[in-house]
Amino acid sequence: MLKDMFKKTSSQSKKMLNSAQIPDGLFQKCVKCNEILYAEDVVSNYYICPNCGSYFRISPRERLSMVLDKGSFIEWNEELPISDPLNFPGYKQKLKHVKTVTNLDEAVITGEGIINGTNVAIGVMSSDFLMGSMGEVVGEKITRLIEGATEKKLPLIIFCCSGGARMQEGIVSLMQMAKTSQALKKHDGEGLLYVAVLTDPTTGGVMASFAMLGDVILAEPGALIGFAGPRVIEQTIGQKLPEGFQRAEFLLEHGFIDKIVKRSKLKQTLSILIKS
Amino acid sequence: MIKKVLIANRGEIAVRIIRACREMGIGTVAICSEADKDALHAQLADETICVGPAPAKDSYLRMDRILSAAYATGADAIHPGFGFLSENSKFADLCQKCNITFIGPSGEVIDKMGNKSEARKTMMEALVPVVPGTKEAVYSAKDGKVIADKMGYPVMIKASAGGGGKGMRIVTSEEEFVHHFETAQQEAKNAFGDDTMYIEKYIAKARHIEFQILADNYGNIIHLGERDCSLQRRHQKMIEESPSAAIDDNLRKEMGETAVKAAKAANYCNAGTIEFLLDENNHFYFIEMNTRIQVEHGVTELVTGIDLIKEQINIANGVKLSYKQEDIKIQGHAIECRINAENPYKNFAPSPGLVTGFHMPGGKGVRIDTALYTGYKIPATYDSLIAKVMVHDTSREDAIAKMRGVLGELVIEGIDSNIDFQYQLINNNDFKEGNIDTGFIERLLKK
Repeated sequence: MLKDMFKKTSSQSKKMLNSAQIPDGLFQKCVKCNEILYAEDVVSNYYICPNCGSYFRISPRERLSMVLDKGSFIEWNEELPISDPLNFPGYKQKLKHVKTVTNLDEAVITGEGIINGTNVAIGVMSSDFLMGSMGEVVGEKITRLIEGATEKKLPLIIFCCSGGARMQEGIVSLMQMAKTSQALKKHDGEGLLYVAVLTDPTTGGVMASFAMLGDVILAEPGALIGFAGPRVIEQTIGQKLPEGFQRAEFLLEHGFIDKIVKRSKLKQTLSILIKS
Repeated sequence: MIKKVLIANRGEIAVRIIRACREMGIGTVAICSEADKDALHAQLADETICVGPAPAKDSYLRMDRILSAAYATGADAIHPGFGFLSENSKFADLCQKCNITFIGPSGEVIDKMGNKSEARKTMMEALVPVVPGTKEAVYSAKDGKVIADKMGYPVMIKASAGGGGKGMRIVTSEEEFVHHFETAQQEAKNAFGDDTMYIEKYIAKARHIEFQILADNYGNIIHLGERDCSLQRRHQKMIEESPSAAIDDNLRKEMGETAVKAAKAANYCNAGTIEFLLDENNHFYFIEMNTRIQVEHGVTELVTGIDLIKEQINIANGVKLSYKQEDIKIQGHAIECRINAENPYKNFAPSPGLVTGFHMPGGKGVRIDTALYTGYKIPATYDSLIAKVMVHDTSREDAIAKMRGVLGELVIEGIDSNIDFQYQLINNNDFKEGNIDTGFIERLLKK
């Protein structure tokens, strides 16, 4: 090997201080294909993996900026008081921690905005906040969103994303399913449009209530949509589930949703729906 | 001061950069693919990090791995060489974000000059003569045809993100335009992911004359004379020389000053090249700027006596340029013949494989930049350039004679190469008389 015959000319040590400092968040990893991705590439690609095309979950504010006209969002019902009906151990501390980490007051942001010139009432759920679970505050915010839309005669769009009902609030969480559904009935009674957009994952009590009550139900590609989770189902029925079970494409094939819309086309699609 | 450079490249240019660093007492880190573990650059550097399998997109183009390698070895600068990431503005920006000195211009400048139609626009605004053509980018064949009809044929269709001859078509008549535009556009989309095009008047029998630029961080910009790179095959250069036989001192002065003006308009920094086309009437036109060190940089080094790689490192260190324009003197004549692992008699098919015998000529005014050694296995995955054979002598005639001797003595056994083809070119009468243009080789091959 020539390598062993060459003489070194520098006395630099293997590692020195003060050299490269790679800032955090410059790169991220895709959980599906394990590729290391340049974060800016992901952002400019609508938070979709440039390598395998899998959709990353996005925060409510990111979603709102993609869908609404710039600067048009007015938030409603920020900072409703915490609900802890069962005095569940550790729940208040957990809430406090999650609020700090996510910079959200709860698992949904609601308000009104404009899409290509048309006013809408809009809500976006967050999987970062206790997995988007619905408790009293989420239920209240959504109900007030629907009631506000009814009063102002606005079309309604809700981006759904949830692991289900918030178990720390017990039966009160389950009650939100009924509360939100009846508010939607009144909105519908006024002849107003409600578009539900199902994002990954939309499950449990949310899926079994307002998520599946849209006049038009859209979904993002590859989103997991179901009531019980796949593992629970497999264990219960003792059978292996078919390929792609509970994914948006499967649901479309079986008539549960109206259309799968690519993230880049969502604003355009919603705009057409609310104008008609 | 830069203490350790990671060379984000391979082959003879990586060896060249490592050598400059060794002379300056700077530590070196090489990156290599799995196919290059025994390559000369990987063996010569102080440290080597393997960054992935053979295909460039999985190794030499992996920005995240290259930055990790720099971080792991404590490298405080990266030299990108040419090709690969050298003109990737995102990579230049990333290096900056990671507190690593990118030896080259900023990402912003790379972007500006890298988009060819944008670059044309910048030059037009700076009153640098450009090939007559479009100012704005062209998106459709329909729009393009209107422009081309007005301009008059023949025209050249080019890709804004283009390079290496891809996305380029010559159109000689109106009927062919739409077809050529659409194929060129598709080619550009496939190769560069960008299908914006532009159109220039096609200048037949043109000479490709480029000027070497050095610019420091303080706005001082000089040129180091020209290189005549007219001898090309399919837009790939084969022979380069300095000075050009077609240019007298007055024209050289005018073109040089224009090159500096162009670099100033681009806000340029570090080493770069301004490319011109020279027509039969001695009118010259800017075609593009290369924001990196080039393959043929050695030719300029021979006639000026200046080490361009060291200058690049000095500039990156924030050192002021130590030369003024009047200090630059072109002495004698230098010629470079590119030696490729290919078979000219089989349509230049690549010929990778084991080098079983290698004899390198030498002597006064002979310089050979290569990464070859006896027993080296040339991988099939990369471009076919294996050696740059350069000569420097007092006159063009003497340089040609010297090159003849050198090519006659150069031996590379075990693979096919274009040594004999280059030998024929050097001995060609038209070449000896300096009657060359960019169509020369193609016409010769047709015979």
